[in-house]
Amino acid sequence: MVIFESIIDGIRDIKDHFGRTMLQLLGVILGAASIVATFSLSVTGKSQAMEYYKVSGGIQKIWISDKPTGKVTLNAKALASQGLTVRDALAIQRDTKQIDLVSPVSSETMTVRYRSVEKPRNVMGVAPAYSPMNDFHAGRGRFISDNDVSSAARVAVLGTERATEFFGSEEPLGKTITINGTGYQVVGVMEEKYFSFDKKRNVMRWMNRQMYIPITTFVTRKGQSLEQGKVAFMHARMKDIKKDKEAVDEIKQVLMREHGVEDYEVFSRVANLRRNEQQNKMYDMTFMICGLISLIVGGIVVMNIQLASFNERVREVGTRKAIGATPAQIFVQFLVESILVSAFGGFLGLFVGQLFCSGIGLLLRAAPTMSADTAIKALVFAAGTGLVFGMYPAIRASRLNPIEALRTE
Amino acid sequence: MSAIFKYEVEEEEAVGPMPATRSLIQLSQITKVYDSGENEVQALRGVDVSIERGEFVSIIGPSGSGKSTLMHILGCLDSPTSGSYWLDDDDVAQLSGRQLARIRNSKLGFVFQTFNLLPRATIWKNVELPLLYAGLGRDERRERALEALKRVGLDKRAKHRPNELSGGQRQRVAIARALVNNPSLILADEPTGNLDTKTGSEIINIFEELAANNQTIVLVTHDPAIAARTHRRIQIVDGAIVDGDATIEE
Repeated sequence: MVIFESIIDGIRDIKDHFGRTMLQLLGVILGAASIVATFSLSVTGKSQAMEYYKVSGGIQKIWISDKPTGKVTLNAKALASQGLTVRDALAIQRDTKQIDLVSPVSSETMTVRYRSVEKPRNVMGVAPAYSPMNDFHAGRGRFISDNDVSSAARVAVLGTERATEFFGSEEPLGKTITINGTGYQVVGVMEEKYFSFDKKRNVMRWMNRQMYIPITTFVTRKGQSLEQGKVAFMHARMKDIKKDKEAVDEIKQVLMREHGVEDYEVFSRVANLRRNEQQNKMYDMTFMICGLISLIVGGIVVMNIQLASFNERVREVGTRKAIGATPAQIFVQFLVESILVSAFGGFLGLFVGQLFCSGIGLLLRAAPTMSADTAIKALVFAAGTGLVFGMYPAIRASRLNPIEALRTE
Repeated sequence: MSAIFKYEVEEEEAVGPMPATRSLIQLSQITKVYDSGENEVQALRGVDVSIERGEFVSIIGPSGSGKSTLMHILGCLDSPTSGSYWLDDDDVAQLSGRQLARIRNSKLGFVFQTFNLLPRATIWKNVELPLLYAGLGRDERRERALEALKRVGLDKRAKHRPNELSGGQRQRVAIARALVNNPSLILADEPTGNLDTKTGSEIINIFEELAANNQTIVLVTHDPAIAARTHRRIQIVDGAIVDGDATIEE
């Protein structure tokens, strides 16, 4: 009962002393706002990163690329090593347990022509694994198949922008384009790949600008033997992200056996993510602490003003006590008031926090959005500030001697 | 006017540990010593007072006489250093702060010189306040508060705030607040001190009406004209009662 009446009283107090209340709440508002901004930023960042990872092949992805050794004294085998080859891809596929997909990629700029349009364009030699690895599929026709690879077929699959560039409104499927003087039949056009952090720039656009031929065709056309075919980089996919270290180690073992020297690098996205998470946690902590500090400062201001208003209200407290309010009832009244005022500050802080978010959005081109979870957290923290810092004024009020209080002018 | 002050007298208990004839208030050998630093101040030096139900009594005396201290002890705002204080059937001399608050809430009503109404609340809410602390439900509180306001003739103004009322009206609100819990005793500390003579006299009229309806009232005043209108005057000088029924020389 007293709690309910205290809430009504508290609301009336906010209304009657609006200016003072605002001033009192500045710290709490900013504290709640920075908590809102921090959490929104962190949550939005995380979910966007996860989204990005998903469209670009998931966090199971492993990169394998060449690395200069810098070593002078090499044994014969190491000297013979020419970096990553198709053979390595096959070996990894064959000799590892934790890897379910290997996608070697060769890449080069070639002269591409269809009728009168001739342009230097990047062409990739890929295996069928490329499609599931990158979650990138043929929109029309088909992607490079196992048959294409084993027969080194002269077939090509185009990214959407390339299809438009060379064929315009014409149907590309079944047509023949010339790459470095050799004819390739177009068997597929990829779906359009799209991902954007800011709903403006498509960060996946480069994929729409690719064209693909079988990796076997790519290397044999360059005059290399299939096994020794040079690979620009490889992607591999691990079966179980909990066993990411084993997966990476398996690949390294195979490559060491094949190359005799460490002229390769192997990175897993999971490990990367872990490292980032560690870093993000630190950022989160830093911002959190800033938010908490401003809440503490806000809390001290709340306490000060509560004490001041308590001095103003000594007579009132005395009267309430004289007519029978127990110390506990006075305590509850004052505490509820400061919790209410602070929660109100937290509520305003949500709006200010949303403003912060929009501001950050202008800088980052990706506006963080506030989740209900974040809003509740900020409100709880703000109300908690009121609880902690309202305690002392409330205790003082509850202990007030009614005789002294009534004597005060 | 008297119709307004219809007041139901609680039946005295015929059975129980205390004799039914016992006085409402029985103070015996009350002392109060304030420990102000090095020297002790003896505010009350063995005060004996008994007040019967329905009595309208004033406490008079010069300032510093211990009049306020006596009033505070009577009002359960303070505990005596020694002695016993029976109020109704309770020995309240040695109760804890919380217990005293409960006694004040259920058995006492206060009227102050400066009215002491909550400025931001309507007078209705003001009168409800003791019932709020007693833990009564909203509807019952509102009903009883309005009834009390009716008894002082201010029920039509229930939704006004104190600053919209005259001094005399504010004091009537305070009386309504003191009445609302059907107290055994109403304590009024200089209730006319902030009012002009005519308005003050009207307030005393109200007290007289209440007393006529068997409400016990103790009034502290230094105004002989006011004191003269009470049934009995207890004169206190230097911490001791010099006359339990003083006459006023005007």
